[in-house]
Amino acid sequence: MKTKTIALFICLAASTLTAWAGTHPADLASNTAAPLVDGREYMVATNHPNLLNVLDLTDNSVLKTCALPDAYGPGSVQVSPDRRTAYLLNNHFSGIYGIELDTCEVTFSAKMSLSEAERSVAVFSVALSPDGKELYTIQNRTKLHIDHYEVLSPQLAVYKTDAGLNAEPVRVFPVPRQLSLMQAADDGTLYVLGPDVYKIDPRNGQYEVAVPLLNWKRPGYGAPDVLSAWAMQLPTREFSALYTAPKFKDGGQDLASADFVWGVLSIDLRTGRHELRDFAPLNEIYFTGTRSPANRNHIFTVLNGLRKYDIAAQKLLASAHLEHAYYQVNLNRDGSRVYLSGTLQDVAVHDAATLKKIATIPLPGGDMALCTAQIFVR
Amino acid sequence: MKHLKALNRKAQRLDEAVAENSAEAIEEVVAMSAVAGCTATVDPGWEVDAFGGVAGLCQPMEADLYGCADPCWWPAQVPDTIINYPDWNKDAPSADKDWRKLDSVFPKDAL
Repeated sequence: MKTKTIALFICLAASTLTAWAGTHPADLASNTAAPLVDGREYMVATNHPNLLNVLDLTDNSVLKTCALPDAYGPGSVQVSPDRRTAYLLNNHFSGIYGIELDTCEVTFSAKMSLSEAERSVAVFSVALSPDGKELYTIQNRTKLHIDHYEVLSPQLAVYKTDAGLNAEPVRVFPVPRQLSLMQAADDGTLYVLGPDVYKIDPRNGQYEVAVPLLNWKRPGYGAPDVLSAWAMQLPTREFSALYTAPKFKDGGQDLASADFVWGVLSIDLRTGRHELRDFAPLNEIYFTGTRSPANRNHIFTVLNGLRKYDIAAQKLLASAHLEHAYYQVNLNRDGSRVYLSGTLQDVAVHDAATLKKIATIPLPGGDMALCTAQIFVR
Repeated sequence: MKHLKALNRKAQRLDEAVAENSAEAIEEVVAMSAVAGCTATVDPGWEVDAFGGVAGLCQPMEADLYGCADPCWWPAQVPDTIINYPDWNKDAPSADKDWRKLDSVFPKDAL
């Protein structure tokens, strides 16, 4: 959702798009050819009724809006390593699409259901190999018999990203249930969030637990809870998720007297190393948290409010009131600005040092809902 | 579960799975493991927050409406937009502006 080429052209495009806010996507055709500029920072975000927006973070404007095929939901985006294509899970969780960002052209599509007798959805799971040549998803399959449903084994499906429209998987492997978010490490290993974090070799389907979560044996802690629907591609190359967990007192396991804490799981996709760091007491709800690329000791969290914490000191550093809830908190590459997305139809921009609001970017169309927005440098 | 009584075969299967106490049986009924439609989603719907109140829920409610309706997180309160009513909010792209266009749905006559 962002960019500019020639300042005048972009300003015109942005003002025109602002005027289109709330109109039908059929009316949004004229700016789709606006190209992205190498070296410039952008954000992509999807929204109802079924749009993909490119924002230019240089002036926090909408560069272009692409009308998407089929139907919206959830709009989970992953940007290709060459920053030219946005792949997204959409069409009510039942299809993955590749959208060329320069042209809005649909260059890839794949249905999650591989036969008429099967109904499959992917729950937020879409990831790309480090070289961008393969796309991964977890398909949760149900066989539709004439008088009953049969729940089949979920499977990891591997596609070639150059397979074009109506692509078929080149490999499928059975995987554990309840898997959702994924990110590929630099060595090609897939890290997949489920009850625990699994690492899967997408070449042969072999998997093992990389980070126990529900089954962790962390001394002094009870089982954690994790809500995560947003696989953010971070400039720090981390696969990250928030957790809450009871922290017991006096060596016991009494939930009634336990302190409940917020923490962050960070998996370094360059090395495979991970860490679990508590950073705050559980006294309000957050949907996402992102460590700053400028200072990994700082984490920003969001839902009804925007917060900034010092992780090591477990101290609240700054707080901002929000006009409405946002699901997702992202930062630009230098960590100077915070971008809030999801829920309704605007992206809020805050200063990362003070959390003061800088701008509101209204999107053409409607609610982002569960959209996974991504920030990247072309 | 002692305060709940199974009224149909699906609910009885849930009781049986718990009674068997086997990992294989319980695995088949865990929430969100297979979304074949919202009726297969075992989620509570419009909930209280983690503290037993409502202040921790998304504000305003409309900000959360499509984010929860789209993946069947409120299956008892809003239509199944994944399978049976995918066009429920087709003419209402903004929940906070277009909520008057959202309507109830009724199962179609099979005949």
